[in-house]
Amino acid sequence: MSTLRRLARHRLALFGAAVILLFAVCAIFAPYIAPHDPYAFSLAKKLQPPSRLHLLGTDELGRDLLSRIIHGTRVSLLMALISVAIGLAVGVPVGALSGFYGGWFDLLVQRAVDILLAFPGILLAIVVVAILGPGLWNAMLAVGISFIPTYVRVVRGSVLELREKEFVEAARALGTHSLAIIRRHILPNCLAPIIVLSTLQLASAILWASGLGFLGLGAQPPTPEWGTMLGRSQLYIRVAPHVAIFPGLAIALAVLGFNLLGDGLRDALDPRLKGRL
Amino acid sequence: MKRIGLWVLCGLLGLSAMGLAQGPRMGGELIIAFGTDPESLDPNKITSAPAGMVLTHIAETLLTMTEDLEIAPLLAESWEFSEDSLALTLYLRKGVKFHDGTPFNAEAVKVNLERFRRASYRFLLYPRVQRIEVVDEYTVRLHLDMPFAPIISHLSHNFVAMVSPKQIAELPEGQDIVAPIGTGPFKFDKWVRGEYVRIVRNDEYWGPKPYVDAVVFRVVPSDATRLVLLETGQVHAIMRVPPLDAPRVAATPGLEVVKVPSVRTIYIAFNYQKAPWTDRRVRQALNYAVDKEAIVKEILGGAGGVSDAPIMPLIFGYSPQKPYEYDPEKAKKLLAEAGIPKGFKVTLYHPTGRYMMDAAIAEAVQAYLRNVGIEAELITMEWAAYLSFLFKPVHEATFDMFLLGWGTVTLDADYGLFSLFHTSQWAPAGQNRFFYSNPAVDALLEKARVTPDPEARKDLYAEAIKLIWQDAPWIFLHYEVQINAQSTKVKGLIHHPREYILAHRAWLE
Repeated sequence: MSTLRRLARHRLALFGAAVILLFAVCAIFAPYIAPHDPYAFSLAKKLQPPSRLHLLGTDELGRDLLSRIIHGTRVSLLMALISVAIGLAVGVPVGALSGFYGGWFDLLVQRAVDILLAFPGILLAIVVVAILGPGLWNAMLAVGISFIPTYVRVVRGSVLELREKEFVEAARALGTHSLAIIRRHILPNCLAPIIVLSTLQLASAILWASGLGFLGLGAQPPTPEWGTMLGRSQLYIRVAPHVAIFPGLAIALAVLGFNLLGDGLRDALDPRLKGRL
Repeated sequence: MKRIGLWVLCGLLGLSAMGLAQGPRMGGELIIAFGTDPESLDPNKITSAPAGMVLTHIAETLLTMTEDLEIAPLLAESWEFSEDSLALTLYLRKGVKFHDGTPFNAEAVKVNLERFRRASYRFLLYPRVQRIEVVDEYTVRLHLDMPFAPIISHLSHNFVAMVSPKQIAELPEGQDIVAPIGTGPFKFDKWVRGEYVRIVRNDEYWGPKPYVDAVVFRVVPSDATRLVLLETGQVHAIMRVPPLDAPRVAATPGLEVVKVPSVRTIYIAFNYQKAPWTDRRVRQALNYAVDKEAIVKEILGGAGGVSDAPIMPLIFGYSPQKPYEYDPEKAKKLLAEAGIPKGFKVTLYHPTGRYMMDAAIAEAVQAYLRNVGIEAELITMEWAAYLSFLFKPVHEATFDMFLLGWGTVTLDADYGLFSLFHTSQWAPAGQNRFFYSNPAVDALLEKARVTPDPEARKDLYAEAIKLIWQDAPWIFLHYEVQINAQSTKVKGLIHHPREYILAHRAWLE
């Protein structure tokens, strides 16, 4: 409870949370909020600047940009959540086992992680997409896979520290099975770094997924996806800058929102900063 | 303000007058940016205009086509047909040398033409040539088994370029020429794949020598990037300005927009031998589903015309048909009759950056098809990979539809129709990459190429075009107008309807 209260006093984090909430509402109620069908097109109305009918103007096929950005929220948030979930689902168990058991297993896992961390994450994602082929789901998988090494490293670090604690020793003395110790005693205590990392990874996921879309490797047209929209806008940036500006703003805002919230959470969850923000 | 403007104008006029007074200046490196890396520089292997543009500076053809679309002599000074049209005698230019010093003569022509004949795919250029006779050092005679009307225009095709017989002789079996040795005004210097091709002046050129020291053809796939390179003065000329940017570029001091007709027709072909494209109703339905007028007007900014034949109006043998009008209701009805369920999924392959607004056009077509209940998945590839993907034999061809263009650069319907629609030209033997086949069309096209009388040929082509139009093997889209741009500092560049920028006589101020 005190964590939440501390978070509530963190203004920037609150702002971040508000932005994310706004996007979440957009994503859930997209069909009700969007003023137009995001796929309805009319070439005669292409690249119109913002007007009362089209608040953010129209894109190269004459589709309503605002509606496409609102529907794009769904795609972007979904991509972010699923890729972080992939990272979590693989990275946390592997990191926990690696940290808890140590030995040759740890050595093997950590060297593999070293290799993966040596590549910039986005490059790793591009390699995965190159193997699987472009597309929304493959992009999610690619980003998710590129998140795994970070999770492994962070969770392992926490576990290394926790496994030497007295309560773990006590559990061991009672004859509790190792896996149960990890599940019941260690992982709950790793939650703070995992939550913080996940929030920050959500921001990266949006950025990377958009990046893949921009390169034509992510969501494919006509799916309204911010990065894809931004990529397509390059051709028109001189005659109709709004088709680049608005999707770009959406990406920037969402990334900012998750980053601010993540920073706030880190501060709020840090026991050393208790009460002082 | 106005007065200052006037003075500046006077100054500029004065400067340019000085420039004029000086006349063409020697030296300098001319940089031309285009969108696609040549897939090859081997005359035997090239298939696209960008590659042809580079090659044509290095290796010359026997005949050529001027920018006014007239056939003109080049390495052959003159030619004549025998009475029965079965022998074509070419009188070659004397004193011409290849870049490696090998003399250009009748033997060299024979070696080159024989090499073309061996490449089955190049065979379409002179399928009726039975024997190539070296009459004397500078006279070659082609013996035909039947009159072959389009042979003169085919010999002017830039792909039929002469390279040094020494180079051909020394080429290992199964390998392609990478650095062609021709007789042209420029010599091959360097080719960095995907980046640029550099050519340098041939000081021993037989004709008027180029002014510039070197020409660099820079490969810049993005239309927008090419334009920025021109605007920032990093290149001197670019191909394919995005149509929506053209007015702005034209208004920029120091830059000029050059609009030239193109002989290129853009189409979306159906996989003719694969269900449901075997059903004419489906193919026609998709033609009704797409608003070609809107695409030309809005996406191309009017730089083109809606196709009313598989070849464009400047080409001999063109015969206009009634375009499939935009009628989504009719399209839906035809699709329902053919039993196509709603939400039917298809693949539509398209290049990005090869043709004017190609990706945007594919996206618009996707949107139009969606309106009649067809979900098209857009798949794009890099140009060389794209061409080889679409060059598979019929049983390996997995695509539903693809977007491609064809420039009938010989200006004769034979090259535009026979190559694309005759059954013998199915990929990978020829350019019928969509496996169209209609025996009646085959017969007409065969007859038209051996009929010497132009009027009779026109009638045959009109008949063939009518049948092709009804069969609708394509979504007939449009023909292009080229929009190029250049710096006003460059003089004497030729923007050719074959989609070439020719630097032969260009100079830098």
